[in-house]
Amino acid sequence: MMSEELQEALNLAGDAVTRDADGTVRLVGSECGDCGKKAYPPSDVCPECMSENLSPIKLSTQGKLYSWSVVHAAPKGWTLPFIAAYVDLPEDVRVFAHIVDADPDSLEIDMEVETRMATLGSDESGAPFESFAFTPVQKGDS
Amino acid sequence: MRDVAIVGAGMVPFGKYQEKTLADIAWPAVKQAVEDAGIKKTDIEATYCGTALGGMMAGQRILKKLGITGLPIINIENACSSSSTAFREGWISVAAGVYDAVLVIGVEKLTKFGGGTLPLEKEDWEVSHGLVMPALYAMRARRYMHEYGLTENDIADVSVKARKHGVWNEDAQFRKEVTREEVLASRPVADPLKLFHCCPSGDGAAAVVICSAEKAKQYSASPIKVIGSEINSGKYMTGYRDMTSPEITLRGAKQLYEEAGIGPEDVDLAEVHDAFAIAELLYYEALGFCAKGDAAKLLADGETSVGGKIPVNPSGGLLSKGHPIGSTGVAQIVEIVRQLRGQCGQRQVEGAKVGLTHCTGGGVSGFDHGVCSIHLFAR
Ligand SMILES: [Zn+2]
Repeated sequence: MMSEELQEALNLAGDAVTRDADGTVRLVGSECGDCGKKAYPPSDVCPECMSENLSPIKLSTQGKLYSWSVVHAAPKGWTLPFIAAYVDLPEDVRVFAHIVDADPDSLEIDMEVETRMATLGSDESGAPFESFAFTPVQKGDS
Repeated sequence: MRDVAIVGAGMVPFGKYQEKTLADIAWPAVKQAVEDAGIKKTDIEATYCGTALGGMMAGQRILKKLGITGLPIINIENACSSSSTAFREGWISVAAGVYDAVLVIGVEKLTKFGGGTLPLEKEDWEVSHGLVMPALYAMRARRYMHEYGLTENDIADVSVKARKHGVWNEDAQFRKEVTREEVLASRPVADPLKLFHCCPSGDGAAAVVICSAEKAKQYSASPIKVIGSEINSGKYMTGYRDMTSPEITLRGAKQLYEEAGIGPEDVDLAEVHDAFAIAELLYYEALGFCAKGDAAKLLADGETSVGGKIPVNPSGGLLSKGHPIGSTGVAQIVEIVRQLRGQCGQRQVEGAKVGLTHCTGGGVSGFDHGVCSIHLFAR
């Protein structure tokens, strides 16, 4: 159910992000059919047991903010400043992502955050690129 | 394995040499090391050259300037640990008896990229999503601040100490002291890290000559013994990991101390990988210089300054000396050699007998660091 606007933008995450029927942004990782190891981004071989019996798994849309940084220096293309973060999903998967729609001063370690799509920058031609991101869960929202 | 010693050391002051080629930056460091050793160039049996971004056959490009050719030249890339890896490979070759004397070079020219954060591998998932090295260290810092009550002042004080040491090192890129207030007022790079919490980008080269301990006596009255050499890759983890505890350094240090038969209390000084100020604090703990959570106190008590119990980065570290990444590992070793020989003037660690170097390399997702190499030296 992507809007036209979203379809135009280059999606950095490709197949590793999708939307549920209701529009909820969801990360797609991989799960090993032999040892159960989960990973994000998805892989075609298991880093635990080397099995190639892997299938896609839809990961939780909420996680905990492990740490973050407001980034002021990055290669050309990224919209600065941006908030870089590690988010821990309940499946024992840690995801690097941007935090959007948030005042940095309002962020707290281990707070609940949820998925979004967001425009994160633009390429040399000025075309926007987007990917998944997280934003703090509003109280009473979940 | 037989005993190995360093008999010659050289480096060029780290700085910006935009107008020079990589080879022209490096050859004076190599010549200095060879002359310091007093070794005939024909007695050098092989060369190990570390560079991360210097391009193909850096070793050949450098050594043809000095006519040290017609021998095996092995070029090694391992990110910021490129030349500490090269040193270890050279050490193995001599310890194993393959060669009696080899040259090890570290070199990098970062000014060719025109400044900014270190260019990382774009195929990496997190890099493709905007991860830069300062942000990674900043996230370690924020989590550590949360868990152990570290303050921004504590982190700034690492830079203050590094700059103080750098004043005394003519090979350092920054030779001016800074105050805590100046560090905190410098421009933000990746919050909570400011510009003065980050090592400067630049160019540089360093070199050492190593040979069997037996043969060392013919070159040097005071050879510096290599008493431990360790290298590891990080453990790849897709799940939760503790970013306040650098697992690769912890694991490597434990292994190294066991092999060398000494403990952290026996180390008189250390050159550690302070690419960003927070890193030095994490490494105090990982290398066993203090307990977990006590790093800020060790620094505040002056124990890691020259004159303290365990001076760390008397050279000024990466924060003052600069970090032309492929040259860093050997440059750290050059500092330890000079310290153990008592050649360091105002920054001399009095009576130093045992020195440690610690060099990491990162930029690949899922690792604490991709590589870490730790060495121990004694006079
Ligand atoms: Zn598996």
